[in-house]
Amino acid sequence: MSVRLARGRLSVSAAMRELEGPGLGGVVLFVGRVRPDVTPRGRVAALEYEAHQELALAGLSELGRNARTRFGARRVILWHRLGRVPVDEASVIVGVATGHRAEAFAAARFLIEELKVKVPIWKAEPARRARPRQPHPRGPGGRSAG
Amino acid sequence: MGASMVGHVTVLFFATARTAVGEPRLRWPCDPPTMTARTLVRSLAESYPKLEPTLRTSRFVLNGRYLASLAVRVRAGDEFAVHPPYGGG
Repeated sequence: MSVRLARGRLSVSAAMRELEGPGLGGVVLFVGRVRPDVTPRGRVAALEYEAHQELALAGLSELGRNARTRFGARRVILWHRLGRVPVDEASVIVGVATGHRAEAFAAARFLIEELKVKVPIWKAEPARRARPRQPHPRGPGGRSAG
Repeated sequence: MGASMVGHVTVLFFATARTAVGEPRLRWPCDPPTMTARTLVRSLAESYPKLEPTLRTSRFVLNGRYLASLAVRVRAGDEFAVHPPYGGG
């Protein structure tokens, strides 16, 4: 089992390597990425993640153990980013390797849903710096975040 | 009569709780020495009215253990954490 709270980018290829092993016929990898949602404050450019780290790591480990017990997961990874995560980058990777696909899908679903409600990790839209207003010759419009 | 020695609890705030308080952690007087988690939460709400709505939906952690009840005693030197609803992923 691999659990991680990372300040840097999460690697999907590294996650897949963690899930390799003999007889592991079902591998499910879920990658959650930051969406450029439009909010009343404009288009989201990034999210900021924080955690109560000791408890978050303990919570991730407990989820991994539960996935083994309930679904027979033989490899589990639970990786989550901390700090600022720009749009389109992965904020979370959940991976499971089992003997067959049904358990792999079920375990991955279980892990990501439980992670969201039971592990002390929070996200927020970072505060934006006020920019001086500059008149545009064509008026307002365009993307609020690049 | 000499001044009484008041110990302190370290209180950790995360997410919306940190925003409401303006600090990630505070040293909070453990007074009276028989303080419970409920007393502590009430005193936090009184001192930080903006924190009160968050406290109503938060979980609390004492020395790394989630509290099932606020009746538990809090002692000087303890670490108490306020966990607003989680939102990872």
